This record gives sequence, structure tokens and C-alpha cells, in this order.
Amino acid sequence: MKVHDNALLTVHGLRKRIGARTLFEIDTLAIDSASAYVLTGVNGAGKSTLLRTLAGLERCDACTVQYQGRSMPLHPYPKALRQAIVFVHQHPIMFSTSVFHNIAYGLLARGDSSKQVAPVVEEAMEWAGVLHLRDTAPARLSGGEKQRVALARARVLAPRLLLLDEPTANLDGPAREQVLKLIPTLLDRGSSVVMACHDRDLIGLPGIRRLKLREGRLEIR
Amino acid sequence: MLEATTHAFALLFSGDEALWRIVWVSLKTSVLGLLLAAPPAIFLGYVIAMHRFPGRRLAVWLAQAALSLPTVLIGLLLYLLLSRRGPMGELAWLFTQQGVILGQMVIGLPVLLAFTLAAVQALDPRYAETAVALGASKLRVLATVLHEARYGVMAAVISGFGRVISEVGCALMVGGNIEGQTRTITTAIALETSKGEFAQGIALGIVLVTLALLMNGALVLLQGEAHTAGGRW
Repeated sequence: MKVHDNALLTVHGLRKRIGARTLFEIDTLAIDSASAYVLTGVNGAGKSTLLRTLAGLERCDACTVQYQGRSMPLHPYPKALRQAIVFVHQHPIMFSTSVFHNIAYGLLARGDSSKQVAPVVEEAMEWAGVLHLRDTAPARLSGGEKQRVALARARVLAPRLLLLDEPTANLDGPAREQVLKLIPTLLDRGSSVVMACHDRDLIGLPGIRRLKLREGRLEIR
Repeated sequence: MLEATTHAFALLFSGDEALWRIVWVSLKTSVLGLLLAAPPAIFLGYVIAMHRFPGRRLAVWLAQAALSLPTVLIGLLLYLLLSRRGPMGELAWLFTQQGVILGQMVIGLPVLLAFTLAAVQALDPRYAETAVALGASKLRVLATVLHEARYGVMAAVISGFGRVISEVGCALMVGGNIEGQTRTITTAIALETSKGEFAQGIALGIVLVTLALLMNGALVLLQGEAHTAGGRW
């Protein structure tokens, strides 16, 4: 994969070992601005680990990343990337505060005032279709509702890159449809999205690019 | 026996000044010792639970071993440190309430640390990961994780209180059981019993048991709430 003008982020020498085994070894991974990718691969191929490494939740052995024209190591995780990239778990966990505060969390952490945060969170709750859940205990949300709150919680930060770990893996019926409808709209504001998945509908999204982890190598289609 | 018990209740309800002074000294030294121990112990418990570093297992081992240290041994150690020719002799804390408070702090510290460590370790790692992924500072991650582990941390504080209010060895050695000054519930019971006067001992025992019931009752209530109260948070 060539580095070109539209590149948001390029990672070189992305290698992860677990014990003596090499989970993956990727020479170059380039992610373009405002683009969507699906990352497929059999169970255990390292999809989650790859996303978690990009999000700075796992250490990589030795790799550098080019972001905004600068080259930096991926470990310790650079602040610029922390502000640009948000990772969402396959089973998102909710803080035991409120749905509103879960979505506001990242904005408040960034130092925004409650006054600034409130309208942004309102808008995100509407986007995710969770306005009616404002007073529901986060622990009582269904799987689909949690996933939608987690997407809203990530989206309010307007990240350059969203990493979604199997966002619809454990959903079916209307819950799955609702999440599937939200994902393409994540790109509307110029974010890029990389999602690990098995899901045929996601893979079939128009304009989406496919990455596949097979036996430790990344295939780009 | 019956006579002593009747006398004990008479003491309790007559507002006997000496008796309630002892209860007050006990509560004061225990609560202050615990308040001093809680911030460093909870912080250390959190740090050990959350980070990988060389010597981590050693730290966990020492914290847990410290739980079973006899309080008389801590008393002996503090006695040596605080005695006039000891390294902390300048403070002149031996046989004072400050000395007792220091002892309670030293006894409470490992309990709080070990229980906080266990509570944070048992917490789902996705809480901290989500906080980090959403850009939280180290301090905010700490606040978030301790908030999610709050019932475990409260259990730590209540267990710590149980340990310091009921210990006798250290308070006796460091405090010296001075009436009105460093005589606590437990040291008074030990003294009165050794003199063959049981009434005050029984009365103080009733107070101690009541305190234990109240504290643990509060814990049960809190945990019960945690179980059903998903609804309110």
C-alpha cells in the first residue's frame, strides 16, 4: 500500500507477539481520511488485538506511525493519537452514572464545561435514538442500546478515526438494524472508521474497503 | 455474672462519664487513624492493582501478609520507634492519643490497601480502557475506577474500622491505657477484667458489639442497594 496525500495515518512495522507466537506482522497499514474499512479474519486472527494496538490499549513490539506529517512511535502512545482515535469495545461497558454522563464523559475529560457539553450530548442522544433512555440506569440497557450509547459516546469527540470491534456481533433483529443504520453516518463528519467484523451487511456497505488478517499478514482488497 | 450484667446496663444507661469518655477516645482514635490511612492506602491499592511493575507480586504478598501481623507486634515496633531514645522519640507521642492514632493508622493501612487492591483487581478492565480510550487523564481514570469499585472500597473502609476499633495490643502498648487519655474500649475491658471487675467490661463489650453491628449493617445495606439499585444510577 502506497502512502498518498489522502492518508490520515500510516503505521509501519506493526508486529505483535504473544509469547513465542507472532500474532501478526504488518509492514505498512495506511488509513485514508474519511474512509471506511472492514477488517475481517477468522476468530483468533488478531482483529481485536490489531484495533486495540492502534488505540494504544495494547503494546506493539516495535512500530512507528506517521500522523499529520510527523513520525512518532506507537509506544508510549502519542497524545495526538489519543485525541484523534477512539476505540469502541465489542461489548461496551457503561459507567454507572447515567446515559447522559456516559456520552458526556470524553468531552468533560477533555476539559469542556458542562454548558458546552449539554447540547452536544443532546444531539448525540438524538442521533443514536436514545433520548428516551436519559434516566435509565446504564446497567439496564439492552445490548443494542449499549452499543448505540457507546457509538454516541465516541462520536461526540469527533474523532478522526473510529475503531469499532464487531459492533453488531451480538445483536439481531431491530437492534442490529439500528446499529447498522448508524455506522455509515459516522463518516458524515469526515471521520474514518475501521471495524472488525464478520457481518455481511457491513462488508457490503458502499465504498467500504476490505482488510483481511490471514495467518498474521494483512491482505488489502 | 448476672449481677455484673445488671450493673453493666445500669452503667450504660446512667450516662457514666468515665465509660462514655472511653467510648469517645476509642471512636476518635479509630476514626482519625482510619482517615489518615485511607488516602495513601486506597491510592497504593489502586496503583498496585492497575499497573504492571517489577516487584508487584512482592508488594501484593507483603500487603496481604501485613493483614495477619499481630497488633502487639506493631505495638512493639511503634513503642521502640516512639520511646524517648527511639528514632521518633522527639515527637513525645508515647502514651498519648497521637501515639494511639498512629498505631491505628499503621494497623488500618494494610487492611484498606489489600481490600482496595482486591476490589480494583476484580473490576472489569473495560472501565479503565473505556476511560483511557475516551481521553481521560490518569487522575480521571483513577476517579472513574474507584467510583466503579466504590462498594468494594467502602467494604475496605468498614473492615478497616472493624480491625482498628477492636484491636487491643497496640493501643495498650503505645497508649499505656491512661484513664481519660488513652484508655480505649478494648484496653479498658482488658484492665477491668484483670482486676476482676466485670460490669464496666461487659458494658463496653455491649458498646463494641453494637458498633460492629451498626457498621456491618451499614455495609449490608449498601451492598443490598448496589445489587438492586442499578435502577437509580
